[in-house]
Amino acid sequence: MTINPMHQFEVYRIGPEINLGAVNLSFTNSSLFMVASSITILFLLFLGTKKKLLIPSKIQLITEMSYIFIAKMINDTAGSSAKPFFPFIFTLFMFVLFCNMIGMLPYSFTVTSHIIVTFALAALIFIGVTIIGFIKHGIKYLELFLPKGIPIVLLPLIVVIEIISYLSRPVSLSVRLFANMMAGHTMLKVFGGFVISLGLLGGWLPLSFSVALIGLEILVAFLQAYVFAILTCIYLNDALNLHH
Amino acid sequence: MKNLKEITTRLEIAKKNIRKNKIINKSSNVTSLGKAFKISTELVAAVVVGTTLGFILDNWFGTKPWLTICFFFIGAVAGILNVIKSAKNMHKNFKE
Repeated sequence: MTINPMHQFEVYRIGPEINLGAVNLSFTNSSLFMVASSITILFLLFLGTKKKLLIPSKIQLITEMSYIFIAKMINDTAGSSAKPFFPFIFTLFMFVLFCNMIGMLPYSFTVTSHIIVTFALAALIFIGVTIIGFIKHGIKYLELFLPKGIPIVLLPLIVVIEIISYLSRPVSLSVRLFANMMAGHTMLKVFGGFVISLGLLGGWLPLSFSVALIGLEILVAFLQAYVFAILTCIYLNDALNLHH
Repeated sequence: MKNLKEITTRLEIAKKNIRKNKIINKSSNVTSLGKAFKISTELVAAVVVGTTLGFILDNWFGTKPWLTICFFFIGAVAGILNVIKSAKNMHKNFKE
């Protein structure tokens, strides 16, 4: 048996091939796990909000905790003016979290370990936030690129630097999530391969490493979803309240 | 009456514990780890974006290596500026 640590990231088609013009819209294992995580979220929230008890059941408690967690995060980082965006950020956080967590199950596929998925999410946020900024402030939104108190000689350079730092937002947002998930899963697979190749005699050490790494990976899976959501809030805050 | 007194003292202890937990939560490890992840990628992303932008502009104007080199350095500057900015933000939040 050959062990290829990158084999787990392969995307393959499930069912018939669907082509819409030049675009390949076939249902893949990636889409399957996206649908699975969405259905899990819907199911959890549905069960949690069905019976509204005064003393909450366990599922109701989880649902309420996730609501409070996100609501508090938005309030702390972006202020009360970001309240209308709660549904979007809640959906984003839950989707990324469940994609990461379902990816931790054995034999499953991690949707967020593909940069095209994370970059699509990040680009959506970036474009959305830019549009919101322009709607809210009009042409004054461009002041974001003009920090106050800069000598005129330095102005062209500073503007270019600020534009690059603005454009780097979606890249850093997407690369962070993608790199963490891919590196973690590759590492798990490599240590798993060591267990098999070292056999009964020497395999215990990498096995214990693997157990520790799974704990770390679950932490990282939660943390990356949290960072993704909180950075969305920070960017939203920049667009809503210009304070440069 | 004795029962009521017991409940009040218990409540006081529980409240104290909550207050203690809040202080611990403020500097919790999870958020600081998140900040560390944030800073590390910010530095790299700006360099990548700057270099790509320079490469695209080079292809436009036909000034092959020069704009790429220029924008690589501007990207590095932007990356360091990003890190300084987020570090300043953290410092401000920490003081509060």
